[in-house]
Amino acid sequence: MFATKRLQKELIKLNEKLPPGITLVKADDLKEWLMDIQVMDDNPIYKDETYRLKFTFSGNYPIEAPEVVFTPVQTPSRPIPLHPHIYSNGIICLDMLAREGWSPVHNVESVCVSLQSMLTSNTKRERPEGDDKFVKYNTRRPKDINFVFHDNGV
Amino acid sequence: MSTPSPIPPPNDRRSSRASSNAGPPSSNLNVPSEPSDLLVVGGPPSSPSPLALRASNSPSSKRRKSRAAKVPPDVHMLEYVSACDSNLVCLICHSPFDRPVKLPCEHYFCRECVDHAWDAQQEDLRSCPTCRTKVDPQKDLSPVPRIIETMLDELVVKCPNTKTGCDWVDQRVNVHDHVMLYCEYTLVECPSTDCRLPISQKDFHKGCLHSTVSCEHCHASLMKKDLEVGSVMSICPNRSTNCPHCFIELLRLDLKPHVKDVCPMVSIPCSGAIVGCKVTAERIEVEEHEKTCPMATMAPFFREQQARVERSEARLDPLSRKIGILEDGLTNITSMLYPANGNDSSFPVTNPLDPNSSEAFPPASLMPTPDFRLPPASFPPVPQSSDTTQAQPPFDSQVHHLLTLHESLRDEVSRVSNALTELEGRTSMTIMNENQRVKEDMLHTNAAINGMRMQLHWLMSATLQQRSASAAGSSTARAGSSTGPSASGSGTQGASSRASATFRAPIRRLSDSTRQDVKL
Ligand SMILES: [Zn+2]
Ligand SMILES: [Zn+2]
Ligand SMILES: [Zn+2]
Ligand SMILES: [Zn+2]
Ligand SMILES: [Zn+2]
Ligand SMILES: [Zn+2]
Ligand SMILES: [Zn+2]
Repeated sequence: MFATKRLQKELIKLNEKLPPGITLVKADDLKEWLMDIQVMDDNPIYKDETYRLKFTFSGNYPIEAPEVVFTPVQTPSRPIPLHPHIYSNGIICLDMLAREGWSPVHNVESVCVSLQSMLTSNTKRERPEGDDKFVKYNTRRPKDINFVFHDNGV
Repeated sequence: MSTPSPIPPPNDRRSSRASSNAGPPSSNLNVPSEPSDLLVVGGPPSSPSPLALRASNSPSSKRRKSRAAKVPPDVHMLEYVSACDSNLVCLICHSPFDRPVKLPCEHYFCRECVDHAWDAQQEDLRSCPTCRTKVDPQKDLSPVPRIIETMLDELVVKCPNTKTGCDWVDQRVNVHDHVMLYCEYTLVECPSTDCRLPISQKDFHKGCLHSTVSCEHCHASLMKKDLEVGSVMSICPNRSTNCPHCFIELLRLDLKPHVKDVCPMVSIPCSGAIVGCKVTAERIEVEEHEKTCPMATMAPFFREQQARVERSEARLDPLSRKIGILEDGLTNITSMLYPANGNDSSFPVTNPLDPNSSEAFPPASLMPTPDFRLPPASFPPVPQSSDTTQAQPPFDSQVHHLLTLHESLRDEVSRVSNALTELEGRTSMTIMNENQRVKEDMLHTNAAINGMRMQLHWLMSATLQQRSASAAGSSTARAGSSTGPSASGSGTQGASSRASATFRAPIRRLSDSTRQDVKL
């Protein structure tokens, strides 16, 4: 009930107005939404590309963080952005999305904006350390993974 | 990192609120906590009736007699008539505050929301959801300023039973009393002793309406209570209803198409709205208006144009992607062909695009002729090393594929550009036609002016001639007077010639000014 009401409100707002570079792609139900984000400056790593985000909400949203991952799409082209905190399977290592870092005052829009700025400020064309192994062997849900948020520079 | 405290199921929320309410003594926070058993949903069914399982209140016959089984309205679910000031909105539930509390950091939340958030946190780690300042829920909560409470109380809300037919709208502070005491549509327990289903307050005196009946219109089986007059729940599509706009009577299933396309009283925008017409009125008036609205006449044309633009843009998108792929491919080929050189610019982009040469390209050729299509002058000679021959087969088919791709792309591009030229031609034709017409108009005007000028000339010269004729007449008369016999006659002649001399001066000036006018 809590999640439903809150998501309905967010959806109304998302349909009204969104910050530049953020688009609502699909929100057919109150369980899973798709958003597209673009980096608005000309960071050469992300210029002219659009990335697809998948939000999955639990019944206890916004008390519990939504699961947010990048998801690749062939057409239209939606790759996984190259970033030292984004694994090639789309899992994002961002403290805001983890159990400890989440706060119920965050919302879909603020998550999108945070990811936008996370990309904007990045200068390294690389994947996280151990990406191959992680992508191959990880079976946990993103929020159950204990990322170490060592550097706050990104 | 450590295991989070388990989040209690929603039902626990109520009791947790009750317990935290019992904490600090604060007059504003001590909302009289309702007996919590009143709110228990889906109590253990003691009746075997399957319908009874859906009853929304606990089956205590004592409470049923008192009819106190009404569920108080959930403030979080209320619908507000107008958008609320964003400063009065709780950041957790995104609704206007419900019994808000103030944290030491001056952040406000609904009591229920912040409790809910803290339930998910470890006891000693509770913090403000906004700024993460540590908070002790037992000590640090304080009431919000009186004015905030007043502003919240005065928000205008709809009755939570709006969907079932109540049209009550009033300040939020009154909603509890309305729902609990006055609303006709609040659900109460059925008066029948062996039926525990909910029924609207207004139908309470009618006895149990929970028997299933068959609809006389569509023969669907439904509950008797849903057939009650005024119940918005009556869903039968074959039932007659009244259009809310024009009050015509029609079948429920015809209502939507009627309002959408026919109803003369429903308010719709002018069809020129996409071009900018701001008129919105009842259909009758809009139809009248559209006859004269230039934007409504233009609208279809614009819509078509817009659709065309959108189609072209949609076609352009895959095209540009294909070009990108192609360019990548070309770069790859170049580097494969001239690994030593590696200079992209030396690749003759025009030559391999020649369709003839691409057809002449022998498929799956193993001939060691890597540069057969290239003008040898512009290229460094490629040695026919074993290296090149090895690279030949994959590169061969790739080139072929890319060339065909490029060919089709070229076709498409030229088609698009043709369409563009055609469009341009059409536009310039329209402009030319328009110009032509204007030019013709100008010619007409010029001719008319010329005609007038001629007439003026003719008139002027006629006048001038008259004058000079009269002047000549006087001079001959004077000449005649010297020879003529009459002395008295010469006296009169002299007077007239003097008069004509005084005349002539202004007239000449006049003619001068006219000539100047014409010159201009
Ligand atoms: Zn709240
Ligand atoms: Zn705070
Ligand atoms: Zn009501
Ligand atoms: Zn009944
Ligand atoms: Zn029916
Ligand atoms: Zn009507
Ligand atoms: Zn109009």
